[in-house]
Amino acid sequence: MEWEWLAFAKGPLFRLSLMVMILGLGRLLFIALAGMVQAYRRAGNKGLDGARIARQTAAGLIPSFRPDGSRFIYSTGSFLFHVGLIIVPLFLHGHIQLWEKGIGLSWPALPMAWADGLSLLVIVTGAGLLLGRISYLQSRSISRPQDFLLPIFILLTFMTGVLASHPHWNPFPYQSTLLVHMLSGNSLLVLVPFSKLAHVILWPFHHLATELAWRFPPEAGSRILSTLDKEDKV
Amino acid sequence: MLPPAKKAFHQPYSFFIEGPVGEERPRRFLEIFAAILKHSNYRFLLDIYSRLAAKCGRCSVMCPVYEATGDPKDVPCHRSELLLRVYRRHFSLGGMLYGKVFGSGFLTDAEIDAMAEAFYRCTACRRCNLECPMGIDHGLITRLGRYILSEMGIVPKALVVAVREQLQGPTRNTSAIPERALVDSCEFLEEEIRDAKGVDVKFPLNVADAEYIFFAPVSDYLMEADTLMGNAAVLHAAGVSWTVGTGYFDAINYGLFYNDHLLGRIARQLVEEARRLRSRKILIGECGHASRAAKIFVPNFCGGEQAPPVVNCLELAWKLIEEGRLKLNPQAISQRVTYHDPCNIARNGWIVDPPRRIIKSFIRNFVEMSPRGVQNYCCGGGGGTVSVDEIRKFRTGVGGKRKAEQLRATGAEIVIAPCANCKKQLREIIQDHGLAMEVKGLHDLIFTALDLKNPGSYPGIDP
Repeated sequence: MEWEWLAFAKGPLFRLSLMVMILGLGRLLFIALAGMVQAYRRAGNKGLDGARIARQTAAGLIPSFRPDGSRFIYSTGSFLFHVGLIIVPLFLHGHIQLWEKGIGLSWPALPMAWADGLSLLVIVTGAGLLLGRISYLQSRSISRPQDFLLPIFILLTFMTGVLASHPHWNPFPYQSTLLVHMLSGNSLLVLVPFSKLAHVILWPFHHLATELAWRFPPEAGSRILSTLDKEDKV
Repeated sequence: MLPPAKKAFHQPYSFFIEGPVGEERPRRFLEIFAAILKHSNYRFLLDIYSRLAAKCGRCSVMCPVYEATGDPKDVPCHRSELLLRVYRRHFSLGGMLYGKVFGSGFLTDAEIDAMAEAFYRCTACRRCNLECPMGIDHGLITRLGRYILSEMGIVPKALVVAVREQLQGPTRNTSAIPERALVDSCEFLEEEIRDAKGVDVKFPLNVADAEYIFFAPVSDYLMEADTLMGNAAVLHAAGVSWTVGTGYFDAINYGLFYNDHLLGRIARQLVEEARRLRSRKILIGECGHASRAAKIFVPNFCGGEQAPPVVNCLELAWKLIEEGRLKLNPQAISQRVTYHDPCNIARNGWIVDPPRRIIKSFIRNFVEMSPRGVQNYCCGGGGGTVSVDEIRKFRTGVGGKRKAEQLRATGAEIVIAPCANCKKQLREIIQDHGLAMEVKGLHDLIFTALDLKNPGSYPGIDP
């Protein structure tokens, strides 16, 4: 029975989740790009320094090293968390095997010790970030339910992943562990386009988008006034 | 629900003028928001920001207001959320569907009041933007919130009165200085320079075909004589061709703080005057917001590359010193001096080094604030709030608290602030915090050190 569930989670459910994620992200990407093209067309000043924008966007990847940065640990933790979060699911030997079986594609895998290490890194930093969010008033007060639920899903996925790949450490039945791993992993895929995880596709455009938004369309103000039927008076 | 604040600060909105709205405020707010989304470039950005916001709270460590109050309402991400929430609920597909199913309700008067308060507690210094891992520009959201509010009449009185005079009044400037008074004031400054330096330096009025047309923040003609004398002396000593147009001479552009349309109208006036006198470049005096408003928005509103280039006086002064056209007496200033970076010219990295190079070329006892440059703290009077006298206690006690601590830590006797707004705010901080320090413009000190009779006579300090 459990094997059937596993096959379902690994097969149709995974395909569906992946499809939802890809279509959802495609939609977000399309909306963002269309918005940026429209903004550029309307902009009064069309000069854009692409190299500077790329540089400043990339600078956002570097953890904060400000001397007075009281959130230095938070930002470094977040950086390390993302490193493991991106590398492990894509380069885990077991995952690549599934891709190979499914669509015949494969690529070099991460050595198992590295995968374990990075997974532990994700678990430790993820738990730390969650604790940080809970214990700091300024983060806790602005948090939404997804800000607590998403890290819990991620931690669950990684913890069950580690346990499933090391059955001798695992106090739980193998199939149940794997099932939880697959269900929580699939849920995360579905949630990507509908939650803040959408930053997987939108983040690279944040700086460009901001830069374009500052290019106010020269005639927008008058059009807004006439739409509102207002006089052009202070 | 937000937990109670460490030290709550409640300011009555006595400083707003709110015109007759004539109908329900929430409905009007949404109509204006819809019109702005339709014609401007904000819609896609709000969509992206709504999805990106990670709510990590890292912005809080950058905000001088939050640092002073410890009130979660002052976390920049919380402030932006006030507007993003309205956007999602009323203008995004997901938000509207959610509202239909779960009933998220209509915008309330209380939400509008919360925005009106929050967007004027923020000085739009954009320091939080440096720390946001998602690159959210909370300053831009503050501006947009203020823009919507201003179109329904919720704007600080001080800003409206100034802009009204600038765009519709007979004097066409924010301080209501008549043309005759400007001419007198320039003659007075010429006499002062003659008395101090023994040299005739002209304020060339309405000279056609000059290289630079000079726009000072007009309040300088009333409050900052030393800065203007420095500006004139530098241009004279280096033999720069320049002029001041009496048709329009105010660099101030409060549109930058609250209204895109007014920002554009004011920027166009600069260019009209430059074209009237056929000046090739626009030179802006010591003023942070006016410099940024002109630098970014003259090309934006006046034809992109066709618009005259905009230069800030600090950039030009450094260029002249570098070219050896201006040398300054390194003995002239002996006091301990520090430098305050105005947010509008430093935050984007535009003018950080030139003023320091100028200072180091003739001032020996220079001490930096920490943090400084791009990371520098706002004076607490940014975003036009310095003009609002009713909130002085908040500006100096909350918004300017970190700046006061920074100033005290330098032990300086003079703080240089090349910005009319920062100067006013810093003077009030110094007064309210009991600091022993003087506020000056960089051109004030240049004027003291410049030997006009023999401008090339000093070797300067080795770098």
